[in-house]
Amino acid sequence: MSYSHLKSSTYRTTIPFPISTFAGEMVSNLFHSPVHRFRCTLLLGLTFFIALPCFAQDWIRTGTGLGVEKVRLAASDFKATTQDPKNADLLKAFNDTLWNDLDNAGIFDMVSKSFYPLQVPGNPSEVRFEAWNGPPPNASMLAFGDLGVTANNVLVHGWLYDVKNTASPQVLGKQYTDSATTEGARLIAHRFANEIIFRLGGGVAGICESKIYFVSDRSGHKEIWEMDYDGSNQHQLTHLGTISLSPRISPDGSRLAFSSLNKSGWDIMMYSTELSRTVSFPRFGGTNLSPTWSPDGTRVAFSSSRAGEPNIFIADASGGNSRRLTTDRGPDVGPTFNRKTGSQIAFVSGRTGLPQIYTMEADGTNVQRVTDQGYAVSPSWSPNGQFLSFSWFRKYGAGAPGANDIYLMDIASKQWVQLTHDGGRNDFPSWSPDGRHIVFQSSRSGTEQIWSMLADGTKVQQLTFSGRNSQPNWSWK
Amino acid sequence: MEANAEIFFEHGKLGRPLALSVGLHVAFTGVIVLFSMLPGRRGDIWGAGGGGEAMGVSLVSTVPLPASPIQTQNVVANESKGLTKSQPQEKQNEPDAIPIPDKTAKTKPKPVVSASKAKAKPEPEPETNEIPYGQGGPVSGPYGSFSANGAKGGFGFQGGGGDFGSRYAWYAKVVRDKITENWLKYEIDPNIHKANRVYLVFDITRSGQPTHVQIEQSSGVPSLDNSAIRALQRIDTFGPLPPEYSGSKVTVEFWFDLSR
Repeated sequence: MSYSHLKSSTYRTTIPFPISTFAGEMVSNLFHSPVHRFRCTLLLGLTFFIALPCFAQDWIRTGTGLGVEKVRLAASDFKATTQDPKNADLLKAFNDTLWNDLDNAGIFDMVSKSFYPLQVPGNPSEVRFEAWNGPPPNASMLAFGDLGVTANNVLVHGWLYDVKNTASPQVLGKQYTDSATTEGARLIAHRFANEIIFRLGGGVAGICESKIYFVSDRSGHKEIWEMDYDGSNQHQLTHLGTISLSPRISPDGSRLAFSSLNKSGWDIMMYSTELSRTVSFPRFGGTNLSPTWSPDGTRVAFSSSRAGEPNIFIADASGGNSRRLTTDRGPDVGPTFNRKTGSQIAFVSGRTGLPQIYTMEADGTNVQRVTDQGYAVSPSWSPNGQFLSFSWFRKYGAGAPGANDIYLMDIASKQWVQLTHDGGRNDFPSWSPDGRHIVFQSSRSGTEQIWSMLADGTKVQQLTFSGRNSQPNWSWK
Repeated sequence: MEANAEIFFEHGKLGRPLALSVGLHVAFTGVIVLFSMLPGRRGDIWGAGGGGEAMGVSLVSTVPLPASPIQTQNVVANESKGLTKSQPQEKQNEPDAIPIPDKTAKTKPKPVVSASKAKAKPEPEPETNEIPYGQGGPVSGPYGSFSANGAKGGFGFQGGGGDFGSRYAWYAKVVRDKITENWLKYEIDPNIHKANRVYLVFDITRSGQPTHVQIEQSSGVPSLDNSAIRALQRIDTFGPLPPEYSGSKVTVEFWFDLSR
């Protein structure tokens, strides 16, 4: 035995190695033989190859104005300018509506009113910038103004100030007048909020004056109802005394298509919001369901079984010139146009068994399946054409976990995301005109009611409370 | 004899740490493989919120400065090292240090260099801390930046006497947010992890529409260039220009940096 071996052996056993050094030596020892070197390279390569997808995964983007930094906005209560006794009620209605509209917009981080200075401004000369742009409010923008009732009219002045920019702070200055009623004050608040959202939201019009159409049985029959986007002002439109379903408002808001049960079966009906009555629309025979409008308002697509199986048909807005788009044997229902281009239609088909979402060109060609499993229904195309929202029971089957939930899919990349979680049965999503909100039907409160949320699944709120309400449809503007 | 016995004893113990080490490596590799194969690691954190693609955006504070008479190209993104420069630290000798004579040190005679062969070294320019006007990087003014999931971008405005971005900072923010939300990173070749900056130039009309979108400087990666162009093409409008602004259009320079 040589002395060198003695030295090396003693050295190795008496010096405590740090683990990293020991591991490094192990690797270097392995690399000494060609076979070991190859195996080790293979092992390391395999490890990195398998581990790589963990870090390379990408996320889809909303494209809805959500997900970017929100503007920190303060909205101080408007001040009264006259001594009229109606002022108090109107001010409360106005301030509450304005706050709710801005809070619901989804693009503002609203500064809590408890952070506001005691003296809130009523006009530009009363704005103290240092009280708003520093802590505690630390606001970027400030909405303020005054309201006064004279005779039977209410006059409102509203301003929007960039309080971080003291040199040229004014972003908006508006004057509104309407009848001195709560409705008038609410309308002005909606318009002022819309103006603020339009300016700070990148030219996308606000939805404060939009409407939601839905089916309600609170009159004893399933009829079509209408309400404001925030759930207020709910009223019945149709009085047919049968069953009416699937309301779809036209892009210009003048006509409402829906399917209704008649003596001859299910037919597409047309209701004029201008005349407040149903207007004529051809009866095709068979079962006709789920109408939908093209974005230019010139065509209506629907599901019809006049040729046997339910297939997708398309017709002019007057009902003329109807033709068949799908010819397969399975049932095809629930068409919806690409709201950006009008050149594609998404629909539900049971051609392979359980219903799945498909897309096709508006002339019926290029049919593609979008969902790969489960039970997928109720597609709704986003206004920017980028997303499809639908109701999906992904693990459909006896004893399978989960339920119907609202999902969102990026059409180009086919990536999807689940928006609702653990909240009963969720169905019939419909996009708001600004593409930042989705209204849907949910049974999470026990009965079927209308709910709305931001398009990223946050800020969920219930809009209807009485009766059973379903199948909401948001107006186009 | 005593020493020999100890040697055999210690030599026999080498097998255990070796086995332990191999076991440790196998376990470590197994954990990595298992971790990467875990189900449900999908991109379901989405949109607003803290994680995922949520934006961390910071607007550089805007101070209204007079427009610079000298127009520099790409003032947002020049390669200047910035305003401050660290002074070279002087080497200090310890006063009490006693040099230890090295026994191997040999004094070699220096070779004699003839005057004709010796090249006159150029005098190094004295380093100054002076920064040329307009080259010191973006201090303030019409400028903003954003970052998104490893990618960065920035922009500058030209128009309105050079102070559009500071007078209408809210509009600059709208432009930034709108482009950010319309830039889809999955359009970029997934094999590209780092690329040069791509510079875009476009006009915004009074009605807010982006027009004349063009690449001022390509990144060299076609998919990155295209994704930047498409981000602009997806935007119908940024919203009308502020009514107080008198010009008919604003020119915006925008850059994207990819690093993931």
